[in-house]
Amino acid sequence: MHVALLRLALGLYSVGFAHSVLTALQKKQTLFRPALACVSAGFVLHVVSIISRAMEVRYLPLTQQYEAFSFFGALATLGFLIAYAKYRIAPLSIFAFPLIFIMTFVANLFYDPSASIPSVLRSNWIYIHTPLVFLGYAALFIAFAAAIMYLIQEHALKSKHAVRFYHWLPSLEICDDLAYRALAIGFPLITLGIITGALWAQAVWGVWARDAKVLFSFLTWLVYLLLIFYRLIAGWRGRKAAYLSIVGFIGVLVTFLGANYFGGLHTFQ
Amino acid sequence: MQLALVGLSHKTAPVEVRERLAFNNDALRLALKSLVGRQDVTEAMILSTCNRVEVVAESSDDRLIREFLCDFHQISPDDVSKHLYSLRNADAIRHVFRVAASLDSMMVGEPQILGQVKEAYRIAADTGTVGMHLSALMNRAFAVAKKVRSETGISQSAVSISYAAVELARKIFGDLSGKTVMIIGASKMGELTAKHLKRNGVSSVLVTNRTFEHAVELAQVFEGAAVSFEHFTDHMDRADIVISSTGAPHFVISRAVAEQIIHRRKNRSMFFIDIAVPRDIDPTVNEIDNAFLYDIDDLQQVIDENLKERMKEASRAEEIIDSEVQAFCLKIQSREVVPTIVQLRDNVEKIRRDEIERNRRYLKDLSPEQQAAVDHITKSFANKILHTPIEELKRMAHDPDGPHYVDILRRIFNIKPPQ
Repeated sequence: MHVALLRLALGLYSVGFAHSVLTALQKKQTLFRPALACVSAGFVLHVVSIISRAMEVRYLPLTQQYEAFSFFGALATLGFLIAYAKYRIAPLSIFAFPLIFIMTFVANLFYDPSASIPSVLRSNWIYIHTPLVFLGYAALFIAFAAAIMYLIQEHALKSKHAVRFYHWLPSLEICDDLAYRALAIGFPLITLGIITGALWAQAVWGVWARDAKVLFSFLTWLVYLLLIFYRLIAGWRGRKAAYLSIVGFIGVLVTFLGANYFGGLHTFQ
Repeated sequence: MQLALVGLSHKTAPVEVRERLAFNNDALRLALKSLVGRQDVTEAMILSTCNRVEVVAESSDDRLIREFLCDFHQISPDDVSKHLYSLRNADAIRHVFRVAASLDSMMVGEPQILGQVKEAYRIAADTGTVGMHLSALMNRAFAVAKKVRSETGISQSAVSISYAAVELARKIFGDLSGKTVMIIGASKMGELTAKHLKRNGVSSVLVTNRTFEHAVELAQVFEGAAVSFEHFTDHMDRADIVISSTGAPHFVISRAVAEQIIHRRKNRSMFFIDIAVPRDIDPTVNEIDNAFLYDIDDLQQVIDENLKERMKEASRAEEIIDSEVQAFCLKIQSREVVPTIVQLRDNVEKIRRDEIERNRRYLKDLSPEQQAAVDHITKSFANKILHTPIEELKRMAHDPDGPHYVDILRRIFNIKPPQ
């Protein structure tokens, strides 16, 4: 049942995806209301799908690639809905909806009916470590989208050529504020995620796991630490902070997607 | 409905002619009463603004209105007739819709015209010269104007220097409340821009001027504070927006000063508006992170791009108007055609029955079958004669000249207009 629900959610998310594509092509907000309604409905089905999967495997459904992408897709949706409820920035959807759609689509692609869980992952740590990391990623994704919006708007203002987007992108101050707040939520979450990961590794092997994902996530964490430092101490804001936020999120993507190809513990089944 | 519109506007007449035909409010009421008193004019309203004078009336003859305009203003028809346009029915409806939606304005999309049309309608309604037809037309026109405004971007973007400055400030800061603006030097344009910023939420104003008294005067106008010109850069870090318009022959704000101030502000954004010629602010200030500098040409460029955008939106607005005119014409015509058909049938049926009644005594000897045959013959005779006129009436509901023919048909058959 969880796959059927996920596919239904994917169908609803596709309306959001269409909205993003049309808006980018026409450079004019199109279909936003229906897309928002569809994505919200899709989110509900998505959550039910994850819960039913959890009941089926009687475990946190995060050990397979299918499950991980599905989970990340759901959290990205949650992140968007929270940011939208707070800031009412419709243009955020242009970045969020495609990501949500692609994550859910990939989840569908990787679906594997087997429900075996490697014994090394059978630990209560999974209930703490993975949700923390994933929630952190979702927040950092919002920070990334805000940074992109900031750069587009800033470029339009500096070059004095109003691109068509300029009319409905949020103001620089709001973009920067959103990016900062999302960072302020995301950074502690991934920090705790890394700490719990380290504790988990220590509990199992007594040493830190030497795998690619751990290395990449640590590098990514350093980028964000630098960003926090510059924002707080050096008073960075705006463009420079936006660039660093984008670099950080590329790190997140490499960690999440790329690390699979380098082997190691975090490779999905 | 027999709509006639006579008028002139900035497109057809120079101001020397427009001012001679303009009405002030008192003249307006007088004119409305005198116009509706005339034969064949049952309803009227007059729109008189600095860009146009237009009379919209329920009347089948626009020449009457032309004559009236000349009589009332005591102008010889030869002087104005080439500037006046006359529109009837569908064309008049389209014109009213376009005017209300600000598509016929000098500055397409400017929002004042709708208010002016509403005011003209209110005066006519107060004077008692508005009836069923004009009220249906104008209420539809207001709804169309609203639709055009919300569905197209026709009046969305700024098309004057001071509004463009406000629009840009909003793009940088979002909400302007809690922001501070500093005015350097005094020029009308600088003052106007500051006024618009203040109206849009800017909460405090700092003023500086080479002549300190001038700064104090202007500060009073804005309920702000005056700052001495010698030390104004010391206070500039408090300003989110700087408007500079001095007569200085050299830069008043150098790049180094701006950098220093942004640094003191911990990189919070700053918006510099330089409306002085020669310029007051080093143009390279725009290269500093978190500083945004617009000079008078940059603002003009923003306006030009907004205008281009407006023109594109205007063509979308025209499409809306087209379909609205069609829908409205169809609605009023079918509203007039259907009762006319019903009345026409009723009238003929009444004549038929009266005739049979009158000749009852000659018919009483006929057998019931024969009586039924007489009834049938007279009925089909009437129906055959009515067939073409009714078919034509139905077709007229879709014809732009329909109201005119419906009117003629009513006169021929002596049918009263529907109430």
